[in-house]
Parts: sequence; structure tokens; C-alpha cells
Amino acid sequence: MVGQPSGRPAWTQEDWAALGAFMQAFSQELLDSGELVETRGLSAPVHTRRVQLKEGVPVVTDGPYAEAEEVLAGYWVVECESFDRATEIASRLTGCPGPEHLRARAYADVRPIDDHQPDFEG
Amino acid sequence: MCGRSTTTSPTSKAERESRLPVIAAETEDLLRRLAPQVLGAVVRRYGNFDLAEDATQEAMAAAAMRWPRDGLPENPRAWLITVASRRLTDLLRSEQARRQREDTVARWTLTERGAPRPDEPRAGDTDDTLVLLLLCCHPSLPAASQIALTLRAVGGLSAAEIARALLGSEQTVTRRITRAKQSIRDSGVPFALPAPGELGGRLDAVLRVLYLIFNEGYASTAGTALIRADLAQEAIRLARTLHAALPGDSEVAGLLALMLLIHARHRARTAPDGSLIPMAEQDRSLWDRGAIDEGVSLVTAALPRGPTGPYQLQAAIAAVHDEAESPEATDWRQIAALYGVLLRLDDNPVVALNHAVAVSMVAGPRAGLELVQRLGADARINADRRFHAVRGHLLEMAGDCTAALEAYRAAARVATNLQQQRYLNQQVTRLQAPPGPSGPFGDRPAR
Repeated sequence: MVGQPSGRPAWTQEDWAALGAFMQAFSQELLDSGELVETRGLSAPVHTRRVQLKEGVPVVTDGPYAEAEEVLAGYWVVECESFDRATEIASRLTGCPGPEHLRARAYADVRPIDDHQPDFEG
Repeated sequence: MCGRSTTTSPTSKAERESRLPVIAAETEDLLRRLAPQVLGAVVRRYGNFDLAEDATQEAMAAAAMRWPRDGLPENPRAWLITVASRRLTDLLRSEQARRQREDTVARWTLTERGAPRPDEPRAGDTDDTLVLLLLCCHPSLPAASQIALTLRAVGGLSAAEIARALLGSEQTVTRRITRAKQSIRDSGVPFALPAPGELGGRLDAVLRVLYLIFNEGYASTAGTALIRADLAQEAIRLARTLHAALPGDSEVAGLLALMLLIHARHRARTAPDGSLIPMAEQDRSLWDRGAIDEGVSLVTAALPRGPTGPYQLQAAIAAVHDEAESPEATDWRQIAALYGVLLRLDDNPVVALNHAVAVSMVAGPRAGLELVQRLGADARINADRRFHAVRGHLLEMAGDCTAALEAYRAAARVATNLQQQRYLNQQVTRLQAPPGPSGPFGDRPAR
């Protein structure tokens, strides 16, 4: 799930509480249906370290990364019947509470994982 | 690699050879059997039903090229899924490039289903072929598209083969399939079994499509060939697959039984010159005993299990015909009673017509005619070949040859199938000549 830093002090105490309750219920439901493999929320982007090659040498940059326009806020790994089912699950994240201007810009991407392929093994 | 087996009809052999290199019949059977499984696995993992279907067709074509040369891979299913998945990635990339140029993105609105209940089938438990059948027969698609898409996505037939089977042009079939896949994509129907409460209605649509395919093969609506056995056999194959996925469903069993029991007579149904032979005149030793036994045991097991539906009742009627050693030995009383029950379930004028024939065999032509006259006001049937043909037959049995002649003439005028037209014109000629033996109705399936 991805959002964009707005620079505005948007989150109130109540917002955080509502978010926490939503996420807990969301993950609990996936746990109950047996579809949840793993989920993590990531800490603020300011704690990011980026590692990349600069002129052939690995260089570490401490966050925040100024050029970032979007921030990965967390992820879920689910094991479910189909890509369509995974999409359905992700669509429920659109019900996540929060300040309206953030809700309008947040999104979730869904991608199949390649390394677990029982179908391919027959 | 060896050539194709010689058991298939010459037309189907020619048909397939035009598309595929000469491959062994077992390889082709294997490919056709794997087609829905491969498509199911790819759609399940990556979505994109429309492109996944193209990718699966391409993987099948690649297999038909390579397997005869390189030998069968160790795991043919995994081979096909891998090739189809790679092809899908390529197709998606070019699709994405095209969409970016056109600045359009596929969008759909998701409907929320919530968490699956504990008793719902879990990943891998559901039969992809069943899901595919339900998808191809989605109620939002017109019947002609449901048929074409089912034959391609579940039956594994190419557009060219479907076009030949349905006597259409390949271009039309391709367009129809493309449009059908687009509307499935745009509707955002998920690749999953429908909610339990919805399954029944959706399954009805699948049964109807399979029976339409069967009838299309059995009594073609146009053209010269009366029986295109390949389509009927394909419908039976699909019905078997469905029965394997839902062994407890009585109507699925009933439909499979019905197809087997009707198809059992196909060798006796046409004369060497291609003309139609009515059931009463057929050489019953040509009937396929194995198919009859299978059909009878299927419907015998399904009927007491309930709930009773129209396919089981029609199968029961076909079974009574098939079990009679001669036309005279036919238990018409039981057939009339079964048609009576069927009419109460389903107000279908063709069923009513068949009921009238059965009643005439029990209580005489006048009793049957009385029922037929009532249908004269029914616009669904009163301009149909079958209405006039049955009327003609009953009038003849009742001794009213002048009226019978008129009825047969009317039937021949509206018949679209050349063989049926020929048969009806024979009746006209016969009645114009001095009296001879009577020729009863044909044994077209009753729907």
C-alpha cells in the first residue's frame, strides 16, 4: 500500500486510532480465512536507507529521500484462490479511514509472487 | 511420429490437419483435455482472461508443433502453463504499450465478496473447468457468443474449427469470441465460483449452452449435413467434464444421459444417401448399446436423488425409446406420462407437441389431434415445421389424407434443413400416390 507525503499535519489522535482498528480488523479477517501469510507496516520514510551503485561503488544514502513522491506504507502477502481474489482483498483497503485528501491519493498494487507455483509443478 | 487414428470422420480429419501438423490422436486428445486446465491455472494466477485465452491457444499451437518433433515433455501440463504464462507476459507488454499510446486504461469496479466462509472451497480445490464453463456461459453474453467461447476456451477448438462446426465464417467466430472476452473483461467478473445462492441459475445457463451445442451437432439448423457428429461428441465430452466436477447434480447427470441416449441412435438415423430415417423405421441393431446402457444407468441413478428436472425427464423418455426392441414394443403410456410431467415443469410448445404424439399412440390419432389443434393458437410453434409435420402425421393416421397432404406441404415450405425438406416432400409424394405404409415423425430432440 502506497501513500504520498503531503507535508500537512493531517493525522489526529482519532485518525490513528481509527486506522489501527481498521488494519487490525482487516488482518484478522485474512487470518481467520486462512489467506494471510504475512503483513508488515513500514516505519516513516525518514528512516529509509537507500543502497545503490554510484560510479561503480555501492553508496548508502540516509533518508528522507527528497525526490520521493510516493511511500510504501506496508505490505501483505496473501495466499488465496486467484489473482482476482487477491485484488478483491486489496480493494477493501480503499475503506481505510484517514484524512480525505490522503485517502483520495492512496492506492494498493497487487502482484503475483513468482516463487511459489504449485500449478507449474503439476 | 505416427499419423492420426482412422476412427474419426474424414471431415474432422481434414479440418484439424489444416491447422495442426499431423499429430497422434492421443496427443490431440491430451491437448484438448489440458486446454481448460492450463487456461484456468493462468487466469487464476495472472487474471486477464481475454489475453490468457489467446496465450493458451498459442501454447497449444506451440505444443502441436514441437511435441511430435521433440517428444512429449515430462509434465505436459506444466510445460503448457509455463509457455502460456510467458506468452501472456509478452501479450500484456504489447497491450500496455498500445494502451499508453491510446491513453486508455482498463478499469472496472470491484464488488466486495468479503472473506470466504470456512466451508467454501479453498485454493486449488475448485475445478477450473467448472469456473471456466460458468464464465463462458455468463448470462450477460448472447447465446451465440456463449457457444463459441465455450467451444474455444473449454473445448480447446480453434476459431477455424468452430467456424466449420457452426457453418459460419472464421472471421465472424473470431469477432464474436473477441467481443465476448472483452465484455467479460469489462464486467470485472472474478475468476471464481459464484456465491452458493447464485450457482444454480448460472449452472442452468451452462446446461442450456451444452445442449445447444449438442443439438447444433445433432440436427443442424441449416445446410445439407443432418448430423455433424463431431459437435455432438464435443458436447458429450463437455457434459462428461461437468458431470465429473459436479457428480451429485441430478440435472447435470440428466443432461449427459439425454445426450448419450439420443446420440446412441445416430448411426441408424441417416440413410447412405444422407436422408433422414424416422425412429420407427430405424435399424435398431445399429443403436449403440454401450451408450444406451450408460445413459440409462445415469438417469436411473439421478431420478430418485432429485430434484427432478427437464433434462432427467427427457433422458427418461429417450431411455424408454432406446430400450424398446421394436417400435411396437415402445411403452407409449409411460412416455405420455413423462411428457405430462415435463409439461408441468416447462411450458414448452415442442414438449406439448411430443406429448400429443405420445397420447395419440396410446389413445388414438383423434386424441392427439385435439391436443395439437390447441397449439394452433400458440405463436411460438404454429408456424414451425414440427407443428405442421406432426399434424400431417396424425391427420394421416386418422384417415384424413387431404388435410394431411396440406399439412406436410406447409411443413416442407418452412423447413430450413435440406434433408428434412426432402423427407417432408417424400411424404407429400407418397400421399399423392396410392396409399402405402405410414411414416411417423422423426426423432429430433424435444427442445
